[in-house]
Amino acid sequence: MKEKIDSLLGKTLTVIMGLMVLNVLLQVFARFLRIQVDFTEEVAGFLLIWVGLLGASYATGKGMHLAIDLLPRSKSIEAQKRFNVVINTIVLLFALSVMVIGGFRLVYITLSLNQLSPVLEIPKGYIYLVLPLSGFLIMYYSIVNMKNENPFGE
Amino acid sequence: MEIFEILVLVVSFVVLLTIGVPIAYSIGISAVITMLVSIYPVPAVTTIAQRMATGLESFTLLAIPFFILAGQLMNRGGIASRLIDFAKVMVGMLPGGLAFVNIVACMLFGAISGSAVAAASAIGGFMNSRMEKEGYDKSFSAAVNITSSTTGMIIPPSNILIVYSLASGGASIGALFLAGYLPGILVGLMLMVVAGVFAYRNKYPTSESASISEGFRKMLNALPSLFLLVVVIGGIVAGYFTATEASAIAVLYTFILALLYKEISFKDVPSILLDTVSTTSIVLLLIATSIGMSWVMSYENIPQAVSEALLSVSDNKIIVLLLINVILLIVGIFMDMTPAVLIFTPIFLPVVTELGVHPVHFGIIMVLNLSIGLCTPPVGSVLFVGCSVANVKIEKVIKPLIPLFIAMIVALILVTYIPEISLWLPAIFDL
Repeated sequence: MKEKIDSLLGKTLTVIMGLMVLNVLLQVFARFLRIQVDFTEEVAGFLLIWVGLLGASYATGKGMHLAIDLLPRSKSIEAQKRFNVVINTIVLLFALSVMVIGGFRLVYITLSLNQLSPVLEIPKGYIYLVLPLSGFLIMYYSIVNMKNENPFGE
Repeated sequence: MEIFEILVLVVSFVVLLTIGVPIAYSIGISAVITMLVSIYPVPAVTTIAQRMATGLESFTLLAIPFFILAGQLMNRGGIASRLIDFAKVMVGMLPGGLAFVNIVACMLFGAISGSAVAAASAIGGFMNSRMEKEGYDKSFSAAVNITSSTTGMIIPPSNILIVYSLASGGASIGALFLAGYLPGILVGLMLMVVAGVFAYRNKYPTSESASISEGFRKMLNALPSLFLLVVVIGGIVAGYFTATEASAIAVLYTFILALLYKEISFKDVPSILLDTVSTTSIVLLLIATSIGMSWVMSYENIPQAVSEALLSVSDNKIIVLLLINVILLIVGIFMDMTPAVLIFTPIFLPVVTELGVHPVHFGIIMVLNLSIGLCTPPVGSVLFVGCSVANVKIEKVIKPLIPLFIAMIVALILVTYIPEISLWLPAIFDL
């Protein structure tokens, strides 16, 4: 299950990152050739939100976010496991409260205010859907991480 | 009343950090907790969510993943070894030559890739074994590598200066980039002085000097890599393109170069992109939650409280800058550079501008100061990478690091109190 989600998420992120590069190169070359392309800056902003937050959930799954683990590391393996459960519960609560609940409310508010992006006129609420989506993924990954038998390595 | 909010914020952050919650999440959670002091839960989480999303929705920030991607391409694209050869031609004949080569190569690579961690691993990977072969002390080599890598944060292009431009509310990126050159070179020179004294005392060898034609060929080899700097910085300073566009051009340029060197092929592209996403999103989550935190602080009037407290101690520019530098040095020990810049710029910048410090000058002070923290435990990312590529324990490098730290602090003092070191170059270009 985790492998499947990892691989799907990894592929999605690779594609988004590739699109980001192409998008800005398009802007540079269009200006060089004096062709009017007005959507690239807006698209770039949207892609960055998506890659940032979805990528953050991917990095959570891989345990890559920087942390100071001197204290838990100095304890016995049993205590390390307890530390790991507490840490992941805290991350899960953040994802649930801010990203899922706060995120859905943000989506709801922007959709009901009918906020559109200035150039492409996409409802901004759809862009912000990445918040609850990444929130769910982070919750899932922190539950998986809780079961880690050797959470701090070595 | 702000005292209570500050207390809640600091205590919750420190507790979360100590028990091992990732830094980005610690920042986000303590921001939420602080907000709960004065706002109901649902609006509080919605506001933080909104700040995180809108904070990332920035064309300027896009330069960060692109410079990271360009760095990845350089790492795998055989550019590091060419830069080392180039540095060897320039400084290899000095006593303790390889230490100088290490410093110059780190300055060049760090500058081009914009990442101290990338410089530490790419240059350190090549240099440590060579230096050990010639009889250099392993932990000394690692310490030189670690400290000199940080010069890449100040010598442009630099991601952290882009973050500062954002946090300062629009200091010119072109001016910041130009301002970084002399301070970055100054730090490099100071490190060379220390390394030179150490090498002289231990009678380290000079490396065999190459023939003139050999040297010329090596310089020619490095030229395409160095030309990237001309394109990127020249383009930004001339106003020909924005930092973000320049970063995309850097990606294209390094990609073509690496293809020509036959070090990578199209097959490698997906894995390079995914590596970039992982590194980027760690930084982006830090940025997103730090922006949330910074908003909470201004909502609770914390910057005003801090600035009043600072100015009540003294309104002398020299003393206030000294205080801020000391605070930032301590902050840098415990906090990664990006959140530190995002959180402390809005607090300190208004104070120092009131005392007549130029925002560009302050940006350089801040980044130079926080660079030192990158080399100290417990959160020194460059320290960790530098030690792991050199295969030495962190405890071992602390001793050789100390004189190098002192050199960096001397450079910091000079840069702080002689604004011209930073502002002279941008002034020449009218920025």
